[in-house]
Amino acid sequence: MNNDIWLVAGIGAGVVSIAASLLYYAWVAGQDPGGEKAARIALWIREGASTYLKLLYTTLLVVAVILGLVIAVVFSGDSTRPLHGIFTALAFGFGSFCSALAGWLGMSIAVRANVRTATACSRSIGAGFTVAFKAGAVMGLAMVGVAVLGMSLIYLLWHDVEIILGFSFGASSLALLAKAGGGIFTKTADIAADLVGKVEIGIPEDDPRNPAVIADNVGDNVGDVAGMGADIFDSYVAATVAAMLLGASFAATGGAQYVVLPLILCILGIASSIIGLQFVKVGPDGKPGRALNFGTVFSCFVFAILATAFFGGVNWAAGTTVFNWGALIATVAGLGIGVLMGFTTDYFTNDEHNPVREVARVSGSGTGLTIITGFSYGLVSIAPAVVGIVAATLVSYFTAQAFGLPGIYGVGIAAVGMLSLTGIVVSNDAYGPIVDNAKGIAEMSGMDHEVVDRADVLDSAGNTAKAITKGFSISAAALTVLAMFAAYTEVIAKYSGGKGLLLDLQDPLVLSGILLGCIVPPLFSALLMLAVTKNAFAMIAEIRRQFAADPGILAGTSTPDYKTCVAIASSGALLALAFPAALAVLLPLAVGFILGPGGLGGFLGGSIFTGVVFALLMSNAGGLWDNAKKYIESGNCGGPGSEAHKAAVVGDTVGDPFKDTAGPSLNTLITVMSLVASLFAPIIARFHIF
Amino acid sequence: MTQHLYLSLMPEALIASQLEPEEFGTYYAVGSEHKTQGKAAFFEIDPGFRHPELAIDEALQRCVPHPDGVPKRSVYVSVYRVVERVPLGALGRLYLVTQDGRTLGIDRSTRLPEEAPGLHLYHEIAPLHPLVVSTFDPRAFHAFFMGGGSKYLSVPAFCWAELRLGDLATDPERGDVRDLPYDSIDHLRSCLVALTTKSVTTKIVDRLHPSAFSFRTLKNGVFFGNREGLVIYAMPSAETLRDKNFAWWRSANM
Repeated sequence: MNNDIWLVAGIGAGVVSIAASLLYYAWVAGQDPGGEKAARIALWIREGASTYLKLLYTTLLVVAVILGLVIAVVFSGDSTRPLHGIFTALAFGFGSFCSALAGWLGMSIAVRANVRTATACSRSIGAGFTVAFKAGAVMGLAMVGVAVLGMSLIYLLWHDVEIILGFSFGASSLALLAKAGGGIFTKTADIAADLVGKVEIGIPEDDPRNPAVIADNVGDNVGDVAGMGADIFDSYVAATVAAMLLGASFAATGGAQYVVLPLILCILGIASSIIGLQFVKVGPDGKPGRALNFGTVFSCFVFAILATAFFGGVNWAAGTTVFNWGALIATVAGLGIGVLMGFTTDYFTNDEHNPVREVARVSGSGTGLTIITGFSYGLVSIAPAVVGIVAATLVSYFTAQAFGLPGIYGVGIAAVGMLSLTGIVVSNDAYGPIVDNAKGIAEMSGMDHEVVDRADVLDSAGNTAKAITKGFSISAAALTVLAMFAAYTEVIAKYSGGKGLLLDLQDPLVLSGILLGCIVPPLFSALLMLAVTKNAFAMIAEIRRQFAADPGILAGTSTPDYKTCVAIASSGALLALAFPAALAVLLPLAVGFILGPGGLGGFLGGSIFTGVVFALLMSNAGGLWDNAKKYIESGNCGGPGSEAHKAAVVGDTVGDPFKDTAGPSLNTLITVMSLVASLFAPIIARFHIF
Repeated sequence: MTQHLYLSLMPEALIASQLEPEEFGTYYAVGSEHKTQGKAAFFEIDPGFRHPELAIDEALQRCVPHPDGVPKRSVYVSVYRVVERVPLGALGRLYLVTQDGRTLGIDRSTRLPEEAPGLHLYHEIAPLHPLVVSTFDPRAFHAFFMGGGSKYLSVPAFCWAELRLGDLATDPERGDVRDLPYDSIDHLRSCLVALTTKSVTTKIVDRLHPSAFSFRTLKNGVFFGNREGLVIYAMPSAETLRDKNFAWWRSANM
């Protein structure tokens, strides 16, 4: 069978997904944008987001040009493939562009959907939900569409998986800037707005008198729409490319169909997501959280059925086993465990369960206990997630092996299975900041309190969806980098004359690599969180200055200067990002060229292990502290203004950069480092000091 | 410009101002240059009210616009012994101002709240502001301090608020705290228990309690009593506040 047909199908699926995304875009844009006051606030948010995106994409362009030139020069040294460097550089640029395009589409609709969702909430919860969810689907479908279109197109053009690595590296570079930069932006604004607005002045959340309130709302979009979207896009592409690389490594014996199987699974995932999206509906006063979860679980079943039908259909039509059934079992195992782990995260961060309630309860005895208890539950939360990753790894590895496939290919395909529903998962995730903004706009524009209440119900469901997505994305990233790690060893073996890479713990180079790798995630986290505190400090000074300079702001007779706060958050985020981002790219190269392939292998292993642990700890502890505060605010353990509430506010402030800046950025960090290693593996295999 | 007289309760003071009550509330809570901050509660006083011990006319003469036309925000008439000198008939609306300057006006009510079973928590607002638990309902509490309870415990006038006790009103030992934000909740419980186990009718929970309190904990409303009688400023229901005073309600619930 000519596998090019699947690549053409991939391009077709990508186009269909993008077209569906644009249809949703047009539908959302056609909804009622609300009254003048709400529209004015939405415009401020849109302008703020636009300011940040321009800065981000300008920075990205500079980074892409520099890295593209480096790739073009470095990879042109191979006389057998003189144009390989240029093609890889082009793929790199195309990957960056695709990720940026998906992010821009998602952001563009999110900052229009917020006010439309608020306006729709004046009719019913269901109406507000539909607008927000369809807007989220724009991001979800655009993302998987451009990813599958890009990967299929590049492989169709060159039939070289290593060139697709360039595409993946391009996507990851943008993801690193978007996720970490968005994380710094959003928490700079959030913390500064809260510390001055709520704590010092005593004004409520989302109050238009707060000069940082627009920056805070912009931050929701750049952090949780563009940032989280880019992060999952990066994992999605990296997982697919890693599985394709692993497929290519045994294509000579197993068949070339295993190279394109990951792309086929992506196509089925797109179809499942589009079908699933049609069934996500909320009645006039229904439960939005239930609708979101139903959509995800339903899409899982659709995907499993489609994948089984595909394997069965192709094998039956061919009269032989074209696609090994072991790959299907590994795929479904990855998918099931991915969803399960998302819900595990929910246990630790949802106020219906013991961890959040326990943190709220002990908060009455002071901040110390809030921090200790929340941090401890964050540590506990690592265990089930890691056990899940282990289970997915072992099940997929041994199942694939039992069916005659390389075990590591099973792991790679399990990661693809886990990420196959990215379309609907990202839709759920992008829904969160849209409804968060909608609630803010409803409050700031003085809409009826029933509208605010409905937006609040949507927002609560969005918070849960965000927590589930974070658990999902960390787990997916972990499995992806395990596959990417295997891909790295394959590339090293290929360019070392077939000599496999053996990572011996008694080898000082490997051990040194592991230790160096272990320190990168905590170092990266610290740099990002210090950037948040530094920028927040600058913004706090600006908010205080504005309140002191114009008493009319607090009296409600003057409009604050929102733009200055947005500018502080934007420039501060991107400036602060330069050093940690450079570390992510340069450290693996330095380790590789000095310690050699074994040292770099150890380095990747160390960074993956601590990266996963830190990402889970920080995301879950942060989410837990946030929801403990919300639990108290909803009238428990003393309610607002109580000692428990004051302690919980401190816990939430500590947890903010944990869960929205450092934690999720670690996914991208470990993916970028794995991609840099895999991409440069052919050169490192030949040139290294030790 | 109209001149107003305001009886501030936190802290006790009589103030002349050219600001309307809502403007005065914002100014009083957050200051003209955001250099002061805090909740406030004040009565609007009949502008015709005079008292020989209070130099109201002199204050009103100074209460004129600034040279640039900006209204005079405040001229202090007195900061001591004002509550005892204001008759019930001079009391106008009561204004409760949140820490960020949102002002809620409450009208004087003709009816006292119906007596509910259980214990009571009273926050005295002026002239002193201890936190007290009692078996007395507001009417009996007023009578008690007007000399009805003991010749050693008698005040000429005072203003206080009844705060919510929730489940603790009927079950001080095991009642669920829920959204009661009070500090030292165990001490409060023991004081409430003492009312049920010892022969005391009133017990001080905190002698040096802060003068401000969380408005969301107000149960029936705010009371002002002197030897003339007792008046109540009944708090609107939570539903009414959310419907009609949403901005104030949000700030009061922080």
